[in-house]
Amino acid sequence: MSKLLWIPVAVVLLALPLYLDASWLKAGQYMMIGAVGAIGLTLLSGQAGQLSLAHGFFLLVGATSYSVLSGTDDDLVGLGLNPLLALIGAVAISALAGVAFAPVAGRVRGIYLGVASLALVFLGLYLGQAAGSLTGGTSTGRAPATFELFGFSFSNEGTLIVAGVPLRGTERLWYLFLILLALSYWLAKGAVGTRIGRSWRAVRDNEAAATAMGVDVRRTKAGVFAVSSAYAGLAGVMIVLWFDILKPDENEFGTYGINTSIAFLAMAIIGGLGSIPGAVAGAVVVYGLPQLLTLYSTDLGWFTGSVTPVLVSSFVYGAAIVLVVLFEPGGLAAIGRRIKELRS
Amino acid sequence: MLVLDRVTLRFGGLVALDEVSFTVTPGSLHALIGPNGAGKSSCFNVISGLYRPTSGAVRLGEQNLLELRPHRLAGLGIGRAFQNTALSTHSTVLDNVLLGRHTLTRGGFIACSLRWTRREEKRHAARAREICDFLGIGAAVDQPLGSLPYGVTKKVDIARALAVEPNLLLLDEPAAGLNTEETAELAATIGQIRTDLGIAILLVEHDMDLVMGIADQVTVLDFGRVIADGTPGDVQTDPDVIKAYLGATT
Amino acid sequence: MTTFLQLMLNGLGKGAVFALLALGFVVIFKATEVVNFAHGSLVLFGGYLVLVTKDTVGWAAAAVIGIVSAGLLALAVERLLLARSRHADPFSLALLTIGVDVIITEEVVRRLGVSLPFIGDAWDAKPLQFAGVTLFRTHLVALGVAAVLITAFFLAFRYTTWGIALRAQAENPEAAALVGIRRSRVTASAWLIAGLLAGVAVLFIATQDFSGAGLSRGTHSIALAAFPAAIIGGLDSTAGAIVGGLAVGLVDALSTEYISFAFAKSAVFLVMLVVLVVRPAGLFGTRETTRV
Repeated sequence: MSKLLWIPVAVVLLALPLYLDASWLKAGQYMMIGAVGAIGLTLLSGQAGQLSLAHGFFLLVGATSYSVLSGTDDDLVGLGLNPLLALIGAVAISALAGVAFAPVAGRVRGIYLGVASLALVFLGLYLGQAAGSLTGGTSTGRAPATFELFGFSFSNEGTLIVAGVPLRGTERLWYLFLILLALSYWLAKGAVGTRIGRSWRAVRDNEAAATAMGVDVRRTKAGVFAVSSAYAGLAGVMIVLWFDILKPDENEFGTYGINTSIAFLAMAIIGGLGSIPGAVAGAVVVYGLPQLLTLYSTDLGWFTGSVTPVLVSSFVYGAAIVLVVLFEPGGLAAIGRRIKELRS
Repeated sequence: MLVLDRVTLRFGGLVALDEVSFTVTPGSLHALIGPNGAGKSSCFNVISGLYRPTSGAVRLGEQNLLELRPHRLAGLGIGRAFQNTALSTHSTVLDNVLLGRHTLTRGGFIACSLRWTRREEKRHAARAREICDFLGIGAAVDQPLGSLPYGVTKKVDIARALAVEPNLLLLDEPAAGLNTEETAELAATIGQIRTDLGIAILLVEHDMDLVMGIADQVTVLDFGRVIADGTPGDVQTDPDVIKAYLGATT
Repeated sequence: MTTFLQLMLNGLGKGAVFALLALGFVVIFKATEVVNFAHGSLVLFGGYLVLVTKDTVGWAAAAVIGIVSAGLLALAVERLLLARSRHADPFSLALLTIGVDVIITEEVVRRLGVSLPFIGDAWDAKPLQFAGVTLFRTHLVALGVAAVLITAFFLAFRYTTWGIALRAQAENPEAAALVGIRRSRVTASAWLIAGLLAGVAVLFIATQDFSGAGLSRGTHSIALAAFPAAIIGGLDSTAGAIVGGLAVGLVDALSTEYISFAFAKSAVFLVMLVVLVVRPAGLFGTRETTRV
């Protein structure tokens, strides 16, 4: 995207909380969570060519780490750290969890990693339930500490009025998420354009050639897995702040399960594997659609009985994956490029 | 100086290389030739660390290459170009060539994502452009590789190997898939690399004419064995070589 | 001792079912190098058709309908989608199967709604007493059926022209094409077989004996254990699929008994990870050699 185009985009995103009501902002925040996670996955699967279905697991690692590091509950393990430190710590722990998977992530290739990573989803399901003192257990879960930045609380606390609009918890969280997304985006862009990004692509395209040029293939694979896990961990922190609760799943199809992993993969594929703006666009489709359909559900009147917004969205992104592979492997990113070329 | 010392490679019962020994002296253009299936590619893969020989040694100066993991070779000044080019087709020429700078640069995810390496990147990009200019592909530097003719991608592959700043350049059948005209141009480029840059080149090649015109030293393999080793003139008149090459066709 | 015997038999019974799934999975992989992530949805689809037809045509006919439909669905997926993307690499095609899996699974689960029907009528919940030990009939029948099907498969694989064609294509696709083996036919047959086997497997999975849970999203997740089964044996080894399937069944049964039911799900995947670290190509798989 050209540099000038960023200015209006930024202005609109910054101004939205002044105009939209809370339910719309919540929907937007959800898309931002998706975007952060999808950027991480597109680095791993698109740039480095390694499939992962473990994104849900690392979401859980990030979510739990934040809750434990910042937690102050009496009956649960909690360190009561400053929320910013807890957020950074949670991202670091998620990255380390990714590193711990290095013996597998570094050795197996491409699609095999996707299958191997399924193991983590099942492990996460078990650990989430078994480690109740950390996660709060499946029945009650645990409330995360409210996020705070240098004494400023991202809750309804205190009054903050901008342009006649009171900025309450939801509005404030919007800005927090926007900062986190912008940072995630900027960091990923920097990595992709330089040495580390080249080593990822080299590993994806030809391991023998990468090796001959001095790239340690095993280390690179493990490294990009850790980076992607860190992004998922950040998305996990965002998700507990969004739900305002950490609740481990009861089955493998919950917030941190297989379906979530697949949804993130769908974002990366639909956006165009390897493209960072594409990952954001993919997140808008995959995580935006169920939110928007829910907001419009009464107006639309489509949703009766078993047909729910989540179901319709699943059909849409399932079909979108098929269509992208069949007709436009570059995904939305390639479509965007083509439109740009047509206009110029 | 690259030394192969009695290298033997077996795949199960099959002997791909049988006590192969030869030496590539600094600055020379050394060709490794032989009929199809003679073991050229196996030998090449042993040197670049993709295959582990059953016995024998491969040394670069004092360093035993077999003790190292293969990705360390680039750091020792060994550049390699591939038979099938093995480039990233979606990336630009520059991006491909810059991969060769991997061991000459530093920086993981944190340093790269925070733009700490930006200045270094620029410096190395400038050098990569220089190398491309040297090989006559300077005009294509910013184009995606997929859009270029095969002859150009061959040169990109060599440019990437040169970006390693090698003392020894390994070229695996660079003329494969090229027409006569392109082959002649390639021969000139290889000669230029040797004379202008003073880099030792180990050239594995099937095309005898290409080799005989430019090589200083030729090692001939047949059925995994060295059957001749000498100057092009010596080798060309060697009865065993004639037999091996002609015998393969009759 | 008798519990242990029961456990082993339970494990082998379940393992036989996983072996059927893993075999289908491996056949597709061998023929096309595509990892089929839609395997679980084939299982669900077959089961669903048994459910909707069994009241009208009777269980036995419904079972046949279910098996055949799962096979035909697999065939349709291959012919209508995968075969049409000739330029796509196995990686992209695997992604495509994820999309297919989402669509089929969501639709079947939606249709099932809140009902969790059992569909193994002929053998489910009819325990046998043998020398003082209670045995699940489902597991015994599964073992028998799997033994017959797997034997038939291997005979066909070894001795028929179809088997030779499949092996040739797995070994060297270009050479196979040169000698006149039609890739499209071999590929289609591989998918058909995988679908049929998935249709058989579901008759045992959605039972009280096997999982205690009827046909549901959970059935799909049980079918996911075909992945560890195939990986443990080696993705390109048909014999490995059988060994891997049995291993997964045993690990599942033993960890359920000695650790916990909740842990058993991850146990089989953890075993898979250990195998991947020690032998990345699986117990019987061929090591991938680097070619440049």
